[in-house]
Amino acid sequence: MHQALRSRRPGGVRTPQRTHSSLRRLGAAQGGGLWVALVLLSLYFSWSTGSFFTQSNLLVVLEQVSVLGMVAVPGAMLLVSGNLDLSVGSVAGLSAAMFGEFDKILGWPMLVSFLGALAVGALWGTMNGVLVSYLGFSPVIVTLGGFAGAAGLAQTITSDTTRSGFGSLFGQLGNGTLAGVPVPGVIFVVVFGVGAYIWYETRTGRHLIAIGANKEAANALGVSARRLPCVIYIISGTTAALGGLIVTAQLDGASVQIGVGLELQVLTAILLGGVAFTGGRGSLWGTLAGILFIGVLDDGLILINVGPYVADLAVGAALVVAAALDVLYQRLERVPVPDAPEPALEPGLVPALERTPEEGADGA
Amino acid sequence: MPDVRALEVTDISKRYGPVVALRGVSLGLDYGEVLGLVGDNGAGKSTLISIISGVNRPDSGEILVDGRPWEQAGARTTRAAGIETVFQTLALVPTLSIAENMYLGRELYGPGRLATALRRIDKSRMRGEVEQAFDRLGLTMPAVTSKAGSLSGGQRQAVAVARAVLWGSRVVIMDEPAAALGVAQTEAVLGLIARLKAEGIATLLVSHNMEHVLKVADRVAVLRLGRKIADLDLRERPVSGMELVGLITGASPGSPG
Repeated sequence: MHQALRSRRPGGVRTPQRTHSSLRRLGAAQGGGLWVALVLLSLYFSWSTGSFFTQSNLLVVLEQVSVLGMVAVPGAMLLVSGNLDLSVGSVAGLSAAMFGEFDKILGWPMLVSFLGALAVGALWGTMNGVLVSYLGFSPVIVTLGGFAGAAGLAQTITSDTTRSGFGSLFGQLGNGTLAGVPVPGVIFVVVFGVGAYIWYETRTGRHLIAIGANKEAANALGVSARRLPCVIYIISGTTAALGGLIVTAQLDGASVQIGVGLELQVLTAILLGGVAFTGGRGSLWGTLAGILFIGVLDDGLILINVGPYVADLAVGAALVVAAALDVLYQRLERVPVPDAPEPALEPGLVPALERTPEEGADGA
Repeated sequence: MPDVRALEVTDISKRYGPVVALRGVSLGLDYGEVLGLVGDNGAGKSTLISIISGVNRPDSGEILVDGRPWEQAGARTTRAAGIETVFQTLALVPTLSIAENMYLGRELYGPGRLATALRRIDKSRMRGEVEQAFDRLGLTMPAVTSKAGSLSGGQRQAVAVARAVLWGSRVVIMDEPAAALGVAQTEAVLGLIARLKAEGIATLLVSHNMEHVLKVADRVAVLRLGRKIADLDLRERPVSGMELVGLITGASPGSPG
C-alpha cells in the first residue's frame, strides 16, 4: 500500500488518498443530507395534499423564505468566520420604524426614507463590526446587546406607534411581482446569487473559513481577519434593514414588531445547513437547504392543516438531529487514518527549484 | 549578487508588559546565506520571528529589507516582499484543501481579464500549480483537493514548508521545520534549505537540533534572555555542538557579535 502510494507518476498526477474518501463523502453529505430530507419532505407534502408542487405554492414558499433567506446569506458568512449577528431581527424592526418616521413624521421623499432606513441598518452593522472585529468584544454579547438595544430604541423613537400609508410604489417592494415572481423572492434570489459567487468564486469564501477555523494562521498569512468580518457585519445590518422594509411594504405598516424572532430563524436555517457553530466549516448551499427546509415545512404543515406550533416543533427536532449528525461527523473525522502515507521527500530527487514569473510576481 | 543584505534588523526591542522579550537585537542576513538561530525557550526566538514575519511590531529598532528601510505593515506586505515563514504552528487551515492552504492570502485571479475584474479566483490553475510545485520539490502528497485536516503530521509540515519554499523569493524563515518529520524527510528539508541557498535566497533556520543547524548553516546567532550573545561564522572556524549548548545555557558567556 505504502509503495503504491509513494510511487510518483510522471504526469504529475497525485495519488488520491482512498482510505479517507468515505469519510469525506459523509462530510459533504452534511449539507447533502438536508437536501435529501428536503426532497423527501416535499414528496410527502405533494403526496398528502396534491397541491404542493404547483407553481403558485412554490412561489408562496419562495416569498415566505425571502426575508429569512436574504439575512441568512451574510449570517452564514459571519458564522463560518466565527462571528454571529443576533441583532438582525431588532435591526429589521428599527429600520422599519425609522422608515415610518422618515416618511411620515419628517416628510422625506419615499426613496430618501428608504435609503435612510437602509443606512440605519448599515450603521448598526458598522457598530457591531467595529466592536467585535476591531475592539475584540464577544460577538454574542455585542449583538445580544444590539438585539435589546435596537428594539428599545425603535420603541422609544416611535412611542410604539405603527405608521402606515406609504403608497403603491413602496408597496411593490413587498407585494409586486417581476415576471410572475414576487419581488421579495427576486431580491432573495439576487442576494443569494451574489453571496454564492462571493463564497465560492472569490477569495472571500476561503478567507472567511480560514478566519473561523484558525484565526492565528489567517493573521500570519496576511488574511484580513479584522476587516473582512467587519464588512460582513455591515452587510448583515443592511440586509436586515432591507428585510424589515420588505415586510413593511407587505403590511403597509412600519411597526417595531417587524423582525421579531428573525435572528433565531436565521440561526436555525444556517445551523440546519451544516455551518459549524464554532465556525471554520460549512457551506452556503447547505444554508440554502436550511432556508428552504424551514419554508417547505411551514408551508406544507399549513397545507395539511396542522397548526404552526407543530411546524416549530418539527424545525426544533430537525435542528437537534442536525446537531447530532454534526457531532457524529466530527467524531468520525478524528479517527486516525491507518494508511496515511508520509510525504516521500526524496533528497536525491530534489531538483533545482524553478519559480515561474507569475508566482514570484504575484504580490498581495 | 549585489552587496546589500537581504534582511537586516538593527537594535530591535520588544516588551510584553513587564516582560522584556528582546533587548536591542541586531541581525543581518545575506542573500544565499543560511543563518541558524538558536536559544533556549524564552530566549526571544519566536518574538524575533514574529517581528520579521510581520505578525508583531517591534517597540523600537529598524528593519532593512534589501537595503531599504522597511516599515512593518503586517503579514500581508511582508509576504508581498518575498519574506515567507514556516511557523511552528504551521499556520494551516484544517477545513481548507492543500491547494487552498498553499494559496491562502495570495490567490490567483482569472482566467482572463473579465474574471480578474470580477475578482474570480482561478481554482484549476492554482491546483495545477500546486501539483507542479510538489513534483518539482519531489514531494508525494495526497490529492491537492484533500483537506489539510485529513493529513498526517508529517504531511502537514511538508505542506507548510513547501508553501514557504514556493513563495519565499527573498527570505525564508523556518521555525523548527523538521519537528514532526522522520529521518528521511528531515534530510529532505535540509536539502531544500541547500537549494534555497543555491538560489540566492536567505534562510533563517530556528531549531533546537544543533546537529541540523551546524549541518546547513553558514552562521549561527545565539539568543539568551532577549539578547544576542554570539554570532559565529561557521565558514571562518568550525563550531561544535557543545560550544553552542554552552552559549545557549549560559555556561559560556559569549560576546555580542
